[in-house]
Amino acid sequence: MTTQPIVQLQNLSKTIRGKQLIQQLNIDLYPGQITGFLGPNGAGKTTTIRMMTGLMHPTEGKVIVDGLSLQENYEEAISKIGVIVENPEMYKFMTGYKNLLHFARMHKNVTKERIEEVVRQVGLEKRIHEKVSTYSLGMRQRLGLAQALLHRPKFLILDEPTNGLDPAGIREFRMYLRKIAAEDGVSVFVSSHLLSEIELMCDRVAVIQNGKLIDIRDINIETSSFYYIEAAPKDDVAIHLQKFDYNFTVENNGFVVEIKKEDIPKLITQFVNAEIQLFAVQPHQKTLEDQFLEMTGGGQIAEANAK
Amino acid sequence: MLKLMQNEWMKLWHKKGTWAMVALLILAIVGPGIIMKYYETKTAEDITWQENEQQVINNYKDMLKGDNVSEVDKKYFEEQIAISEYRLANDVPSQTEGSLASFMTFASNMLTLITLFTVILAASIVSSEFSTGTIKMLLTRPMSRAKILTSKLLTTFIFGLFLIAVNVVVSALVGFILFGGATGVELEMVNGQVVEKAVWNDLAYHYLLSGGDFVMSTLFAFLVGSVFRSSSLAIGLTMFLSFMGGMIVMFLSRYEFVKYIWITHSNLTQYESGNLMIEGITMPFSLTILAIYAVLFLAISYLSFMKRDVTA
Repeated sequence: MTTQPIVQLQNLSKTIRGKQLIQQLNIDLYPGQITGFLGPNGAGKTTTIRMMTGLMHPTEGKVIVDGLSLQENYEEAISKIGVIVENPEMYKFMTGYKNLLHFARMHKNVTKERIEEVVRQVGLEKRIHEKVSTYSLGMRQRLGLAQALLHRPKFLILDEPTNGLDPAGIREFRMYLRKIAAEDGVSVFVSSHLLSEIELMCDRVAVIQNGKLIDIRDINIETSSFYYIEAAPKDDVAIHLQKFDYNFTVENNGFVVEIKKEDIPKLITQFVNAEIQLFAVQPHQKTLEDQFLEMTGGGQIAEANAK
Repeated sequence: MLKLMQNEWMKLWHKKGTWAMVALLILAIVGPGIIMKYYETKTAEDITWQENEQQVINNYKDMLKGDNVSEVDKKYFEEQIAISEYRLANDVPSQTEGSLASFMTFASNMLTLITLFTVILAASIVSSEFSTGTIKMLLTRPMSRAKILTSKLLTTFIFGLFLIAVNVVVSALVGFILFGGATGVELEMVNGQVVEKAVWNDLAYHYLLSGGDFVMSTLFAFLVGSVFRSSSLAIGLTMFLSFMGGMIVMFLSRYEFVKYIWITHSNLTQYESGNLMIEGITMPFSLTILAIYAVLFLAISYLSFMKRDVTA
């Protein structure tokens, strides 16, 4: 990528009472890109996000936003960031509009028109003048998104944003994030434990475990293609696959074969000629969950799913 | 900064508790006023004020004849007799309970209630943001933490001053409506002379001196509230200190260091009545000690708030 990163974590570390929660984290985030942030429970996701939003002070290292250090130029750096940390906690005794007004006053140049625009964008215009205590969780999430977008941030940090949204809401939310990333060049950093959600939403994932970054990779680019083939008898299939030097693994009733798309017809012809019974040939995409499992090991994933 | 205070003010008045405080304060002024008015008109019919003064003189003279009269009591009784005799000789009726000034003096006792309400706000204005989790929303804004804390502190004091203003205005209004027509003069003994009491000056002075406890209690509650993030702890501790403060000081009075704790000094009205908590303290000394503690409380509040890792 040729563009300058908008946010850089440099050697970010946090030690609390002798326990090293985050160790030397280095992540670059680029404009227009949605980065997912994954990790088992207790891996340090929330701690990292709290340091990126100035809620916690790093023991070592720094967070650089658009060339400014969050630690040294706090007010200027944070004004480029929009934040939803965990559940968006609002002042329940006030209306949604008053809440937005409250946060708008803390930023420069947020006009009443901008508030109304954001309210329309998140689809809350019908209920905005009602007290937040009457809102459902999904509506509070929308309001949370609205307050994060008020000041047109260049960088959006979202901690489990789809928590409590209905399927339509999640879809809408995903489309909206994609839209602001593509059109306004906003960089988005989303932490979530809904792996399928991250997979649909993000361009890139960063995986963290025990306070260390263990992987950062792009999602939709497959380095090699895999196909799932179900056929019988299995022994004959295995012999054939070995004969053509394909890498394969046995899975359920079939095989996952590493094979180029253009070679598929040839392989099928081979099978037919050898009188092998062919039931299914379909593209096999490794899900993010599989990748995540591979990276973090099985023990922790059970924990992460249990959350 | 102004916008931050506007925010705090908006949040404050959206809470029902705030309105309840103002309503209670007004009720606490109006209620006793009506009771007093009723009581006054009931008793005033029976006897003239001259007969009443004569009764007072006789009462005190009887008491002076008693066996166990202390020096302080004796002096007080004699003063009261002298004042009553002066009234009879110069035809100056007393006001008893029935004047605007005396009602406002009574209402100045509501400062205790106002201090309590201000303490409640001081204790909760920071800690409630933590307990509801809204602190995360508040601190991830382009405003330094120092500014946010300052806006909360100033809002607390403005609310306190607002309650004091309500107290003065409501008690003046109620006093004027109920006792506006009453005439009379308050007398007191100064250096063996019976003179007219400077009621308004005394009242203003009382408000000013009560400011000591008001400011210190508020700062202390603010400190505990922002350091321990628990409003109940802050309110409890502050109330405990203001009720038990006298006892604590008495208990510690044989040690020298009792002079240097703020509880000994925060009740500045001790200089008005002359009954000092411990001997040998003066007003400038008290004010210095209070100022030092005020700065200390603020320093701790700010340091802890600015350094804190927010995990709420």
